[in-house]
Amino acid sequence: MATAQRSVPPARGVLQFSIHDRLWKWLLLLPSLLMTTVLFIAPVVWTLYAAFTDLHLFRVGVETEWVGLYNFQKLLGNSSFWRTARNTVVFMLGVVPMQFLIGMVLAVCLDNVTRGLKLFRTWFLMPLMVSPVVVAFVIGRMLFQEDIGPINSLIRWLGFEGIPWLTHPNWAMFTIMVIDVWQWSSFMILMLMAGLQGVPYDLREAASIDGASFWQTFFRITLPLVLPIAATALLIRIIDAFKVVDIIMVLTGGGPGQATESVTLAIYRAGVKGGDLAFGSSQAYFLLLVMVVFGGAFLALTRRTMSQTKD
Amino acid sequence: MKVSTQRRFIRGVSYAILILWSLTLVFPMYWVLITSFKNPVDMSIKATYLPFLDFEPGLHAWRYLFVERLGWFMQPFSNSMIVAFVSSSIALVVGSMAGYALARFDFNGKNNSIVLGFMAQRMFPGALFILAFLVMFRELRLLDTKTALVIVYAAGAIPFIVWVMRDFFEGLPVEIEESALIDGANRLVVIFRIAMPLAAPGLVAVFVLSLIGAWNEYIVALTLTFRDSITIPLFMGMQVSQTGYTEWWNMSAISLVSVIPVVTAGMALEKYITSGLTFGALKG
Repeated sequence: MATAQRSVPPARGVLQFSIHDRLWKWLLLLPSLLMTTVLFIAPVVWTLYAAFTDLHLFRVGVETEWVGLYNFQKLLGNSSFWRTARNTVVFMLGVVPMQFLIGMVLAVCLDNVTRGLKLFRTWFLMPLMVSPVVVAFVIGRMLFQEDIGPINSLIRWLGFEGIPWLTHPNWAMFTIMVIDVWQWSSFMILMLMAGLQGVPYDLREAASIDGASFWQTFFRITLPLVLPIAATALLIRIIDAFKVVDIIMVLTGGGPGQATESVTLAIYRAGVKGGDLAFGSSQAYFLLLVMVVFGGAFLALTRRTMSQTKD
Repeated sequence: MKVSTQRRFIRGVSYAILILWSLTLVFPMYWVLITSFKNPVDMSIKATYLPFLDFEPGLHAWRYLFVERLGWFMQPFSNSMIVAFVSSSIALVVGSMAGYALARFDFNGKNNSIVLGFMAQRMFPGALFILAFLVMFRELRLLDTKTALVIVYAAGAIPFIVWVMRDFFEGLPVEIEESALIDGANRLVVIFRIAMPLAAPGLVAVFVLSLIGAWNEYIVALTLTFRDSITIPLFMGMQVSQTGYTEWWNMSAISLVSVIPVVTAGMALEKYITSGLTFGALKG
């Protein structure tokens, strides 16, 4: 869409200097600005403010006090919070590389076939349309059901013992990762396929005629060329993985114990259920900080890799 | 000769992997479909896999859903419908107007910064907003209303729509609009009668994507609604986590009814959806 035109500044309407158009342009932009200001900037600023107070949902009529860094001190000394932070990072590190791997393999496969391509592409879109709550229920509660679920039935039929998919701390985290991988690998497939389509076929053709093997062509030509798109896709998935909450809430409620509780779930528990808006807000800002650190590190890494591959 | 053998081999392996992944995606869907036709007895002792061979399919879950408890299920279903359609429509009109403005007018050379500012909002975690939303909508007395969800979802979809539509409008030839303006047409007429119809493919893509987003959203709905205005994901979540022992067949039927509309719409519009989803990457 509009890729080619992007670098060239668009020709603008001839009447743009008339007084009417100066009015129009603001009238057209204003509703969007207004809505996003009220529902984005205001909450972000308010949450920052709340993190430095003792604001509580259920306490009314009492003066709200400024408590400085108290909430953040409480946070850093809270082992249960660190547990949720660790869980969230483990989840991200588990799902994103897996989705990338699956996405890359399938994108390359799609690139190699012509017959049935459209069918596969359409079908691979399916998981992205399904509500995560439904995916969590169908896969986590039904397929991985421990007594009569088909997966444990198969494992028992093969002569092994059934696996405690949701009742053992490590397996519960694994099950949640499987669900996320099932759902979001498709996003990687689509993104990487779009990237591969941008790699001129002639280039690969020429390489293979010159005697380069499939793997050589892939690592030397294809991969470096899809790297920018891969980086974008990975960044989007990293950010999304840090926000994980719905599948966990439906499936384990953060359990067993605290084994699968994510930061967002902890924020919901503290702030919405517990009413401790101040503590919840400080956690939310901590999450933002973690995301910025990881996202920034990732961007720096890709930038370095890309400048190296250019040489 | 050697090259073509190698290529044939690669193609064969590719098909095998593609089919394997397709089956991975099919299996949960197959399972939920057959479970919705199972009777309690088919799930009490062991897993059953094939209708008619393994178990005798029955319609009791569907009867339960559509005859006995229709009202119980219809409320969240219609809430989801209303919230998704109204919020996406508002976001589409508001967002595409801004997209048009950013494509056709000059905002002191800051057009790109404005678009980037919109996009930056998508990076922020939802956890940063839910507490503020809770307090805000409590003050407005809008907790547990569809209005609250419509407002939040519309505002949430706007940045993406602005971003995509701005590029879409930039890709359209400006000459048609110019000649209409010279002929004395109003700017509003130009936008809604000329530019918007030409941008229809982009509009369809962003509309369906916002629709899916609103239809499946969970954490904001969980924070802001609890009884009268709950949406489908919330309703399902409640059913799953409240009962330790779940009525699988009824839940399966509900799952199917809730995913079939969006999945069908999404797959029918595959071309638009894919271009909408991969938009950021293609722009690179």
